[in-house]
Amino acid sequence: MNPPYYPVSDFGPMMKGMVIGSLGIVHVFLAMFAIGGGFLMCYFQWLAQTGRSPHARRFVDGYFKALVLISFVVGAVTGVAMWFVSIQVSPRTIGMMVDEFHWIWAVEWTFFSLEITAGYCFYRYAARLADRDRFFLLAVYSVAAWFSLFWINGILSWQLTPGDWTRTREVWAGFFNPGFLPSLLFRTVTAMTIASLAACVVINAMPDLDREARRALINKAAHFLFPMAAMPVLSAWYFGTMPEDSRRMVLGGSIVMTLFMGLATGASLLIGLYAAFALLLKKLYINGATAALLVALSFAATAGGEFVREGVRKPYTVREALYSTSVTPAEIARLRAEGCVARDPYPLRDAAAYPNDQVRLGARVFRFHCSVCHTIDGTNALRHLAGDWTPAQRRMNIAQLQRTKTFMPPFSGTPEELEALVRLIEWDAAGRPADWPDSTGRGDWPGDRRRIREWLDEVGTAPGFLRSGGAR
Amino acid sequence: MDAPFPAGLPFPTAAYLVLYLVTLWVHIAFMNYVLAGSATLAAGLVLGGRASREQPICALLRDWMPFMLSAAITAGVAPLLFLQVLYKEQFYTANLLLFFRWMAILPALILGFYLGYLLKTGPGRGRVWLGLGVFACFLFVGWSWVENHLLSVQPVGTWQAHYAAGAHAYASPELLPRLFLWFVAGFPTMALMVGWQLWDRARRGKGDFSDGARAGAAIGLGGVLASALWAWRYYHLMGETAQEAVAGPAAKPYLFLSIAGGAVELAAFAGLLRMARWSGGWLALGSAGLVLNFVGTGVMNETIRLALLDRTVGLAALAARHAESWKVGGFPVFLFFLAANVALMALCIRRVRRLPSPPAG
Repeated sequence: MNPPYYPVSDFGPMMKGMVIGSLGIVHVFLAMFAIGGGFLMCYFQWLAQTGRSPHARRFVDGYFKALVLISFVVGAVTGVAMWFVSIQVSPRTIGMMVDEFHWIWAVEWTFFSLEITAGYCFYRYAARLADRDRFFLLAVYSVAAWFSLFWINGILSWQLTPGDWTRTREVWAGFFNPGFLPSLLFRTVTAMTIASLAACVVINAMPDLDREARRALINKAAHFLFPMAAMPVLSAWYFGTMPEDSRRMVLGGSIVMTLFMGLATGASLLIGLYAAFALLLKKLYINGATAALLVALSFAATAGGEFVREGVRKPYTVREALYSTSVTPAEIARLRAEGCVARDPYPLRDAAAYPNDQVRLGARVFRFHCSVCHTIDGTNALRHLAGDWTPAQRRMNIAQLQRTKTFMPPFSGTPEELEALVRLIEWDAAGRPADWPDSTGRGDWPGDRRRIREWLDEVGTAPGFLRSGGAR
Repeated sequence: MDAPFPAGLPFPTAAYLVLYLVTLWVHIAFMNYVLAGSATLAAGLVLGGRASREQPICALLRDWMPFMLSAAITAGVAPLLFLQVLYKEQFYTANLLLFFRWMAILPALILGFYLGYLLKTGPGRGRVWLGLGVFACFLFVGWSWVENHLLSVQPVGTWQAHYAAGAHAYASPELLPRLFLWFVAGFPTMALMVGWQLWDRARRGKGDFSDGARAGAAIGLGGVLASALWAWRYYHLMGETAQEAVAGPAAKPYLFLSIAGGAVELAAFAGLLRMARWSGGWLALGSAGLVLNFVGTGVMNETIRLALLDRTVGLAALAARHAESWKVGGFPVFLFFLAANVALMALCIRRVRRLPSPPAG
């Protein structure tokens, strides 16, 4: 079976992962705000109707308006945007996710619809509803929002820790995977934290409230920061479910992952310390600027965490099922024999810009094999990564890509395609001269070809982490 | 496809198509409200100026536009999901080929919502421009969907040429006629939905049964006539394969269903126009006609698409993929939660329906 070939979009100097990562972080943050916000409003509604907080009812109405105006539309549209951007970045990955989990996604849609219905009923009619009805709508909204997380979390955690699905291909084995529960609980705590911090901003924006009234509301909202105490345990649990090679990436194997993990941990720690001492212990008042800063820190923590979650899946997009190159493990051997772009029906858009057919082939191999994570001369560029290597070094490092870096997928093309990619990098590093010879016409090509084939055969088609002592 | 839809199709293909169509109809109802409603609102603001604010239909549209957009987006998620199961390769390829042009629908939707919200709550100045802006955003989204669909049913050769040219827009002779058909067909739906809202408001003592009835019925009547005439014209613009599909055994009963639905709608709008007041009976008749029309046109549209794809990828290949997808577990869980959550949605609406209508704005 050959991989499906789709037209590949050119994002210019931008790395595709940056685009989907940025959008994903915004979407996740807004979704967390909506989920935690629901429970927070239930709590404040309860405070209002039991006479425990005189201003709680006003807060609920103000907070809900912010939630509807920001989360309902931008959150919903960025959710759809995640699908569309995923299609642009890796159609085969999102296609596999839809194939495997379309019923789960359909279930999630029923909860999303319920969330929107309950939310709009509350938004439009809350001012004239009895307390009992207000609480009912908020409770339905909150539970529906949380269940949206429940279903999506199963699909997202499956990508990294598919568990028994790898063997059985059974949907529930994939859904209730090893990372499902710690991830769900961690995200629930994160949602409560974001909701609590956003509440501090809203409370400061409420007109006609004196400082004491604001302090009282902020102290109540801070109760939602208590669960942060469980974050270290939940993180450790989630960390424990991660594959060994992914853990190694976080612990220094990939300095980018380590730094982003540090960013997420540091930002969470700062929020946690501030929450524990200032808000919960000393019951201090915080102004709008400080509250906004804390929300920004929580965004940074979310961004760091999501970046790591996406990054440590490498070399896969779906663990043991699909490499980041959109090639399945089973397809590699065949593509090494037949060529990875031999059946690609899409021509180059800028074919005339290349000096010969070999470099043109290299550009097509780059488009198929590398462009999902790399550019030629933009971010994460081949020019910067491999431009200074010697020709022999390029051939060997690309042939044994999974050994060069264990988070890279195996090369899945013929020796001719590999050589073409090498020549593309060399041509680019040489300043893209108009006159550039085809290396397969040289006398030493048969020897080079034999060596490339030997390197490919020696490294095999297994991922690199298995070779370096990792476990599945 | 030798039997009336869905009888001639393998079960998984038929099941996914039915699910796709049912969820699509719900989405289209809201989408029609948004597109035709924003056009009506913009026209009212341009032609009627300040007076349009007092016009019951314009006031209602202004009040409900943000919610209806949100509902359209939410209801659009399910058909978008089933579309990917049914026509993954075609839909993904069209997305990729249109790239920035296609992705621009996302900021357009966000902008349309906030302009609509400003139109509802903001100061009086600049309302005409806001109204036009809202309509422009939604028209752009409609245009993009039509473009995406037309490109998705093309053979690989067209895709290759489009990719090689580096174009991000697909100029098909069918584009504007098809977009216009979708646009005018939205008015009867919008008129009926607005009619039900104004009828309900009057029933609860918050307005009069004659509020906007003449204008609403005229809009609906005009929409039915215009869409019928344009559908006839569009049929002759379509290629031979599409025409054969419409006249073939799979779609022919639905062609008659669609015509019958249009006739019922026409009778209902004529009745409303003659009475010059909203009547539950005429609205129910019009809604029944709308449902028949939705079913008829929806099935015809899919039959045409299948016929076009049969030329390129082949129905057998498509059906084999659907059969693979159908093996995946979770369908009963979906049905259970669909029923449970629809019941909960009804419960939420029932709780707030006990209240009198809120004041507009």
